[in-house]
Order: sequence, then structure tokens, then C-alpha cells
Amino acid sequence: MSDTTTADAAPQTSPSRGTDPLLWVGRGIAAVAGLLLVAFPLLSDDVYYQNMIILSLVFAVGASGLNIISGFAGYISLGQGAFIGLGGYTIGVMCTKLPDSNPWVWVPLAGLVAAVVALVLGLVSLRSSGPAFVIITVAFLFLVQVIAVNWKSLTNGTNGLTLPLPDWDRDIANLPFYYVLVGILGLQLLMTWQIRRTKLGMGLIAIREDESKAATIGINLPTEKIIAFMASAVFVGMAGAVYGYYLTFIDPRGMFGILLSVQLVLSMLIGGKGTLWGPVLGAFLIEYLSETANNEWGGGNIRLFLFGGLLVAVVIFLPKGILPTIRSLVTRRRASGKAGLVGARIGTGGSLASITDRVHLVDRADIPDRAILEVKGLKRHFGGVKAVDGASFAVPEGSITGLIGPNGSGKTTIFNLIDDTIKAEDGEIWLDGQRIDGLPSWERAHRGLGRTFQTTRLFREMTVLENVVAVQRTFSVRQLGKVAVSGAEARAAEELLEFVGMRAFRDQQAHALSYGQQKLVELAQILMLDPKVILLDEPAGGINPVLIERMGEMIRELNSYGKTFLLVEHNMPFVLGLCDPVHVLARGRTMASGTPEEIQRDPAVIDAYLGDDFVLEERTS
Amino acid sequence: MTELLQTLALGLLLGGVYALAASGLTLIFGVMKVINIAHGAFVILAAFITYWVWEAFGIDPLLGIFITTPIVFALGWLTYKVVVSPIRTAPMASTVLLTFGLALVLEGAMGEIWGNNSTAIRPSYVDQSFLVGGVFLPKAQVYGGLIAIVVLGLLWLVLTKSWLGRAIRAAASNPASAELVGIKVAAVAALVFALGIAAAGAAGAITGVLYPFVPGSHYTWIARLLAIVVLGGLGSLNGAVLGAVLFGLAETFTATYWSPAWATAVPYAIVFAVLLVRPQGLMGTRLREDAVAT
Repeated sequence: MSDTTTADAAPQTSPSRGTDPLLWVGRGIAAVAGLLLVAFPLLSDDVYYQNMIILSLVFAVGASGLNIISGFAGYISLGQGAFIGLGGYTIGVMCTKLPDSNPWVWVPLAGLVAAVVALVLGLVSLRSSGPAFVIITVAFLFLVQVIAVNWKSLTNGTNGLTLPLPDWDRDIANLPFYYVLVGILGLQLLMTWQIRRTKLGMGLIAIREDESKAATIGINLPTEKIIAFMASAVFVGMAGAVYGYYLTFIDPRGMFGILLSVQLVLSMLIGGKGTLWGPVLGAFLIEYLSETANNEWGGGNIRLFLFGGLLVAVVIFLPKGILPTIRSLVTRRRASGKAGLVGARIGTGGSLASITDRVHLVDRADIPDRAILEVKGLKRHFGGVKAVDGASFAVPEGSITGLIGPNGSGKTTIFNLIDDTIKAEDGEIWLDGQRIDGLPSWERAHRGLGRTFQTTRLFREMTVLENVVAVQRTFSVRQLGKVAVSGAEARAAEELLEFVGMRAFRDQQAHALSYGQQKLVELAQILMLDPKVILLDEPAGGINPVLIERMGEMIRELNSYGKTFLLVEHNMPFVLGLCDPVHVLARGRTMASGTPEEIQRDPAVIDAYLGDDFVLEERTS
Repeated sequence: MTELLQTLALGLLLGGVYALAASGLTLIFGVMKVINIAHGAFVILAAFITYWVWEAFGIDPLLGIFITTPIVFALGWLTYKVVVSPIRTAPMASTVLLTFGLALVLEGAMGEIWGNNSTAIRPSYVDQSFLVGGVFLPKAQVYGGLIAIVVLGLLWLVLTKSWLGRAIRAAASNPASAELVGIKVAAVAALVFALGIAAAGAAGAITGVLYPFVPGSHYTWIARLLAIVVLGGLGSLNGAVLGAVLFGLAETFTATYWSPAWATAVPYAIVFAVLLVRPQGLMGTRLREDAVAT
């Protein structure tokens, strides 16, 4: 992959992004709001509003941090407030233990403490998928409060800790807190924005959309989730330290209150999770409401009704949040009466070699005569159903191998076992001379395994381009930091989209595409992995005859560049015209293997699967 | 030795109460994949209702379970119909947030009705103890623990031996097919939710006699119950019982041999340690296969 073609590719790669007026309106509003925020203390000395903005800034950092793990990766945390408390206690404890120190120096330390605690929690709860995480965050929130109450030698228990009063001029009073928090919020937003553009962000959103699929395109799930969780804590810990210093008093109730966490979750949801500015907007809105409830409606139980009721109402009536709702309203109004791109003709593509110089024809004679993928005695039962029951077969390097069999014979389950979407109970899987069973999906992908699904599984809320660049060929921290949506990665993805004929759709969301279009995008996605072996699950299923033909062409062409294929397919002319060898599966076992001709003549196969009129029909036509 | 026996007995009895509440939580999760964060709030609500029944009518609080539990069952059914069923098919994160909001509303309501001061239910036998072989066992703990075990046994019978139990398991493992064989999945879901809440209610009635409570006590409860079901393995009824017993033992042993102040914290440390080794919990199976869309 070369980086030399940046200049000529640039104009084509951004057809809609830069010119979207909605985006510029949004940026304008953000810029004005930012200026007002910076200028406010200079224009007004109203302490009430200054205090409210300072608190809003703390919560904005908290909500924006939460957005990384909950908005991007889709793992809701109900313990986010605890990171504010951890930050507050870090500065409180350090100032008590070292009374002569300048409190500001402990702010970065508070960020570090928060990140380390997130790392530990992540190791406990993010290595498995599913609901353990949210549960652990509730337990965590409760646990830190218990510790803060009981570890009296460190925290002074419920009596709390008092920080030194600020030593600067009373005239500037709150300004240092104010501007430091503006700075931290700026850093937080910069990080959020950067993550959204990189491989890491793509991986997180992929995890949110479909976690087990994300694993099959090389995304290292636990590592990415834990990094995201640490990222969502680090600046929050720092903001918490400033918050503690600002309050000059820290106690378990104030720092680890449940409502603090509720406020952060609510801010993120109401503004719009997964967006850059939504959590910030939400934080200011909710803090204003909260102050009003405290001062004018009596506080106490009223705040519970307000927060609880809002949470219920938002989940039911405004699940996307304010900013995404506005966006979709505006785009719907603009799009009304115009034909969408979705109905447009799929491009004819062209050969991949004409699009990119990254592929080369290989000489058949150079391909070693060996199996690149081999399964031995593979087994998986579901209760009493023996879906795969000792299947063994080999896929020769450089071949297009077919896997056929009646419905329920275990073909798709075998694919699931090969890429670890489902765990095999027994048996061996060898890829390129290495045993890969026991490895997680993403490592299998890194070693050269690519796989499409029978029912396409694209990441629905991501654009076509994002779907393709989300793929991770290897794992390294540097690679996670790579910008994905532009530059070399995006160019490589566009070449593959061009090849499958879907380049015109690059900025469409995947859920807007037709089934056949999704199949093509999924193929491009898998090719982005640059796999040695490509498993295709019914590539010709449910698409029109022209597209079937094109699909066959593409498979042949990719095969000529040295890619090995294993495909499951019910369309017999397609399989028999394309594949050699063909394996026939029945009741979870391989019952026959051979060339298409041998398979067609095999009486057992005809009996079990093809039906005795199959060959006749072929002859007469 | 006596102290050890006493701690063990009290731990087991406490574990029985936890098991009852946790089984409701794990049942709701197992059948409808909803993590009911409001579960603790229903425990405390049931304690308040028991208090009200005891104070207003002079009915023994432990016998009051037979009044409290049906009331809480009805509230659970209503809750499901009004707020949970509209987002039945939404992702799990939505139901977590929804039930969290519900917990806050319930806390606010309890605060409005009964006030935020500590409430205690004190029947005549509250300060009496059984003396068994030199071991002092407070009567309330013994009655409460035994009632919890009986109710838990009934629940287990319903779930494993009755037609309803089979319908529930069918609806849990494959809603579409269950519908085809004549099970009204929506009705079963409402029933399961109400049943789970009722289990929390029975546990709440018992705990109201054992410990003083405030509306905010529900946070302690939900944190504890969630930790228990994660420890046992989400969705597993046996796991929840095992987790609850371990949790009860860990609490009483910490309180006896170290410090009551830390009794609430130590069990979490155990849960965290277990999850480091077994991310799926003690009796849970890995959930990754649930995500396979085939």
C-alpha cells in the first residue's frame, strides 16, 4: 500500500462531507457557543450562573467521556459518576497527605487513577460480551462509596476531606476553575472526535452494532473495549479533581452519589449518544433543570421524580436524543421528493487489477500442492441435534472449493465453527499450516481467514465506507490510532468498493441498502482483510441472475490473484460451474468429495441431495 | 466453635432471603433478557407495604407476606404492561436505563409517602432468640430464612413442574415457536415479570423485619442482587441461589470476624475475583452464542 497518491484522490473522496450545509450550521452554532462560554466570565460576574456553568462543564466532561464506552461501543455504564468522585478523592487525599503541595499538580494524577481503575474494572467485566459490564458498574459505584465511608485513615469517612482554599487573588475568584475545566472539556472533545475517525472508533461502533461479527473482521474485542473504557474515564477523573478543588470539600455522599451518575447518563442520552456535541448539550440542559428543581421545586424527592421520569421518557419517546433527531428530521425534509441513491444502478466495477496495483496474477504452477485450510473431526451438537458430527475436509491452496448439502446438513454451522462465531466441541482446524482452533475470531482473521454471512451482517448504522475500513488486518496499538475515514485506509477501501461496484454508495448507511448491495459490500469488507482463505456463505443466494454472474466473475478473478475460496451454495449450476473440488455434507459429516463431475455421478449424493432428476435436467437444457 | 456455627447458620439464613430476591431478578433476565434495575426498589417497596399492613391492621409482618406479595405481584404486572412492554424488543441497554429510571421514581414515591427517615418493623418476637446447642439464633432471622426457603421451593416447583413453567421455558428459548404451539408469549412475559417482582416482594417483606430501611436502601439491594446473579451466572436459577448463599456467608463472616462496616464491601471483592477467573460466572454459560443471528 503506498501513500503517494494522496493529492489526486482527495477531490473524489469527499463528495458530500465537506458540502453538507447542516454540518456547517452545526459547526457555526458550536463555534458561537464555544466563544460565549469562553467570554461569559469576562462579560458577567453573576456568581450563580458561573457556578452553574462550572458544574455543567464537569458534567459535560463526564457525559462526553461516558459517550465513548456507551455511545460508541454500546456498553452502558451506570457508574460513570464514580470517576468524578475518584478524581475528587485523589486530589483530596493527596492534599491532606502532602499539605504543602500545590493542588493543581494532582489533577493529572487523578486522570491516571481513573484510567487505572477503569482498566481493572474492564479486565473484570469487559472480557466477556453482554450484560456483565453494566452490572459491574452498578456494583462498582456502590463499592467505592462503601470504601470512601469506611477507609477512614485515607478518606476521613463520612466527615470528608477539606482542601486548601485557593491562594490566588479573590478578584479572579472562580476563573481558574472555569478555564481549566473549559480546557479539559476541549481535550475530551478532541479525543472523542479523534477516536471517531480512527480504526479504534470504527471498531467500537462495529462492536456496538454487531459484536460477534466485529470479531470476525479482526477486531480484538476485549482490548478495544478496555481501551475505550479507560478513555472514557481519564479526563473525567481530571475534571473530578478540579470539581473537588472547586468545592474545597469532599465527602462520600457528594462525590459518589448515585444521582451524579444518573445525571451523566441522562445528559448523554438526551443530547444524543454517539455524537460529538450531544453529551455537552445534554449536560448543560440537565444541570440547568437540576438546579431549577433544587431551588424552585423543593429538591429531594422532586429531583428523583425528575431524573427517573426523564430517564423513562427519553428511553421510550426520544431514544436517539436531541441532535440525531434534529438531523434526521432535517434530512428527511430535504430528501422528500427526491429519488435516493439507493435505487441507483450498481456499478459494473471492472477488474481489480485495473483499479489497484496491489494485486497480481499468480502462476498456477507456483501454488504449492497442499491444503491451506483443513478441518478434522469437527463436532458441535445443539442439545440433541448433531449439527456438525465429525466433519473432515480439506481446501487446497488456490482452489475454489464448494461445500454443498441439504438444508440442515451443517454447512453454516461449519463456517461458524471455522471462524469461532460458535465454539467447536471437538476437532481440529488448520489454516496455512497452523492450528487455529482455540484462537479467538479476530486472531483467525489476522491469520488470513475472511468470512461472509448467509444473511448479510453489515454494521447497520455505519456508512458503506466505514463498514469496509472497520476491518483490522493485524492488531497493534499504533494501528488503532490510524485515521480510518480518510487517507490510505479509505483509498484502499474505495478501490475495493469500486471493484464490487458499490463506490457510489460509500456515504450511505448500510441499513439503507438492498440485500444484494449488502452482499457486495460485505464482500469488499472481507477483501479489506486481505485474507488467504475466503469463506462465502451463499454468495449467489437471493440476488438477481446478472449479479450472480458478476459474483462468479469476481470470485474467479480474485482466485486468479491467488485467493482461495470455500463456498456454501444451493445454486447447483453456480457451484458446479465454479468449484473444484466439491465436498458434500449430510447429517453433519462429509459424505463425498470430488470434482463436480464425480459429484454429479455419485449415486449416494443424487439420492441424498441432488435428486435423481438433477443430471437429466442439466442434459436436456 | 459456637461462634463459627452461629455465623454459618445466620449466613445461610440470610443467603436464603437473598436467594429469593435474586431468583426473581435472574428469572426476569433469563426469560426476557431484561436487567431489572428496579428490582431493589420493589424489595424496599414491599418492606414499606409490610410495614403499613403491620401498623395499620396489626397483622404479623411475616404472615403479612401473604398480603404483601400479591400486592407487589399486581404492581409488577402493571409495571410491565405500562412501561416495560412498549420497549420489549429494544436493546438491553434501553431496558436497563428504563428500569433504572423506574427505580428512581419508586424511590421518590416511597420518600413522599413514608418519608426518608429510617423505618423499622418490630413485631413482639424481634428481640427473642432460639438457643440451639449453645448457638443463639434470633427468631426473626430463623422465621424469615425458613419462609424464604419455602417460597423459593414453591417458585422452583412452579418453574420446573407445572405447565406454566414449561410455557415460560419455551417462551424463553424460542418465542416464535412458542407462539406457534399456542403459548401467548406476551402474557407469559407479563406473568414472569410479575412473578419475579413478587419474589422480590416476598424477600422485601422478610428483610423489613430483619433490618431498618429507608427508600434509598434499594441501591444497596440492587448492587447486591446484581452482584449475586453475575456471580452465579446470569439467567441461571441455581447459580443465583448458589451466589446468594455465598454472598450471605461472606457478609456474615466479614461482619463477625473483621468488621461490620466492611461486611457490605467484601462480597464484591469476591465477585470481582471470580469474574477475573470465570467471566461467565460460576454456573453461567458463555453468552456469545446468543449473538449469532442465524
